[in-house]
Amino acid sequence: MPATEPVPWDTDEFVAPVGVPLVDLLDRLLATGVVVSGDLVIAIAEVPLIRLSLHALLSSVNKKVPAPWADGGPL
Amino acid sequence: MKEPSLLDVSPEKAGQDLVGLVLTVVELLRQLMERQAIRRVDEGDLTDEQVERIGTTLMMLDQRMTELCDQHGLRREDLNLDLGPLGSLLPYG
Repeated sequence: MPATEPVPWDTDEFVAPVGVPLVDLLDRLLATGVVVSGDLVIAIAEVPLIRLSLHALLSSVNKKVPAPWADGGPL
Repeated sequence: MKEPSLLDVSPEKAGQDLVGLVLTVVELLRQLMERQAIRRVDEGDLTDEQVERIGTTLMMLDQRMTELCDQHGLRREDLNLDLGPLGSLLPYG
């Protein structure tokens, strides 16, 4: 089976968009669940001004990831 | 000589792009909730009454989005963002 020649990436003609709307990717991401954790410090001229420390779980509610409130919750 | 109007922004049109951006975020969340609701209903652990209420709520949300767009002179397609090689934010059509 001849090795298929790889699709050149840096072509000049218009590269068609991937075709999957971003909202579908976000949906699948939510379905699998993702944890975002990180630290961000915004500084000006080496003077740290703003600190953002992030530990976020982003997931859809299922058996493994139950909602913290029994009922629908306040929101 | 009349001073050329550098910025011919009518008050009504000025906020339109901002409203469009806000409605885009709302539409993104609405579509996410819609897809998540479908996944949750597929699991089958919801009562029929819950499924019924989810369905009607999502339908009313969709109508509300159309009303909001009409109020601000926008079309639903305007809410979509073209992310270049990444494709679009929301599905077309």
